[in-house]
Amino acid sequence: MENVLTIRNLTKRFGRLCAVNNLSLTVDRGQVFGMLGPNGSGKTTTLGMLMGVINPTAGEYLWLGEKPTHHIRKKIGAVLEHPIFYPYLTGRQNLELMAMIKQAPTSNIPRVLDLVELTGRENDKYRTYSLGMKQRLAIASAMLGDPVILILDEPTNGLDPMGIAEIRSLIQKIASDGKTIILASHLLDEVQKVCTHFAVLKKGNLIHSGPIDDVGKGAEVVEVSADVADLDRLLDTFTGLSALHRQNGYLQVTLKDGFKSKDLNRFLFEKGVVASHLVTKKKNLEQQFLEILNTHDESL
Amino acid sequence: MTLLHLLRIDLRKLTGYRTFWVVCGLYFLTLGLTSASGMEFLKWLARTFEDFGSKLNINRIPLYHFPDIWLNLIWCSGLLKIVLGVMVVISVTNEYSYRTIRQNIIDGLSRRQFLASKILTNALLSLLSLALITVIGLVTGLIYSPVITFDRIITDTEFLPLYFLEVFFFLSYAMMLGILINRAGLTIIVLLLSRVIEAVITSNIDDHVPWLIQYFPMQSIANMIPFPAPRYAFQEIRDWVDPLSVAIVAAWTFLFNWLSYVKLKRSDL
Repeated sequence: MENVLTIRNLTKRFGRLCAVNNLSLTVDRGQVFGMLGPNGSGKTTTLGMLMGVINPTAGEYLWLGEKPTHHIRKKIGAVLEHPIFYPYLTGRQNLELMAMIKQAPTSNIPRVLDLVELTGRENDKYRTYSLGMKQRLAIASAMLGDPVILILDEPTNGLDPMGIAEIRSLIQKIASDGKTIILASHLLDEVQKVCTHFAVLKKGNLIHSGPIDDVGKGAEVVEVSADVADLDRLLDTFTGLSALHRQNGYLQVTLKDGFKSKDLNRFLFEKGVVASHLVTKKKNLEQQFLEILNTHDESL
Repeated sequence: MTLLHLLRIDLRKLTGYRTFWVVCGLYFLTLGLTSASGMEFLKWLARTFEDFGSKLNINRIPLYHFPDIWLNLIWCSGLLKIVLGVMVVISVTNEYSYRTIRQNIIDGLSRRQFLASKILTNALLSLLSLALITVIGLVTGLIYSPVITFDRIITDTEFLPLYFLEVFFFLSYAMMLGILINRAGLTIIVLLLSRVIEAVITSNIDDHVPWLIQYFPMQSIANMIPFPAPRYAFQEIRDWVDPLSVAIVAAWTFLFNWLSYVKLKRSDL
């Protein structure tokens, strides 16, 4: 698969603070790549370096296999941190200016305005826009140059649930066109819903990178309850048990590798106990993320 | 990307900005009015003198006669360049406070191109000032000069390109301050105080290294375009171009633009 982005040992220090430490990463064509990490983990600094606004202390990166130049940036649609426009210009004037910079045809403007459903407000000054409209204009501007790569940094920041859903379906729509998307976010739910791959940063270090399908693999957790007094003692004798916790009034059984919930169900049945509640807990990205962060707590 | 395209990018930012129209409108209006109304000022002066019983022959003061008119106009108009300088500061510091400079780079301008678009606008504003002064000089000169010959008209016009250099020098200085300081208010204060600060320094070193003073930026402008009024007090003034002073101003202009480039290249936006 073609490498869209290759990062090799990228490092940025601000004085004594190391914002990004020796980061190496690749993104392939067609991926929707999620960059996760708590606030201040170096996501925006990394993207800033990739877009030429922050000078790296060390390391290098390649876009589409080439050394970065401002010509390549014209093929990338990027919005970092929050929407940035000239407040005294209208939405359309801002896009026209951007088209001049990207040397993109202005005939794209109606199409991208339509895409983000801003067509009715294009001639109003940018400063009169609501936050959601600003975010949508930012996405429109990123789409303006017909980019092969899209970089979105917290695109749903500060939006209401409806706005978040709108942006999410927009991202999915764009991704289905085969564009490569790099999405930085701390909303894990968000990333899980739209991304194909993800990486986790913490204090400038890359601590995990892989496909999102891997999430949920590993030990299975089953939640049980039954109308018997000593269920926990009974479960202790189950050979497939690796850990047992009590949570929300239920017993959480972590199974050993190779054991499934049906094994637990059969075990209980053989012991003459009928479970009144038996649910396989699918591990979500949030749990995985916290787990990754926690396992690295000691090492960092 | 052609230079014209870069200029159009910066003009697109400015032409949608009302402050730009107001400031530039006031600048060119004031420039036009003050330089065209010197004769009215002289008439008013003569009337005032008459009220006190003395007589002032305004034809003895050939403010608007070729060739005096050129240096008179150029020197007076030079005082107004501060207004354009403030406009340039606003244009540059806006890019920082709105963070649009960051977005411009992200969108695909190189830092060099961004700077070039600003420098080109500075050149255009300087050129417009020059054009206005040339037209006003020709028109008022033709109206008021008692003797009009081609020789008299073109005498001292070699100061016109120097006027362009003076304005461009100052706008480059304003742009550099904006890029170094980033904040509009502070930059404007430094810009306004520059001449004063320089005067304080030069007056202190006057006794020790007087030859150095001509190399100071604001002083170099004063040396390049001499103050014309003393000639009406029957004193000699220099009405020829001093190559050294022009070289010093040109060197400063280059330095301001180059420092802007170095700062922009190195900074994280």
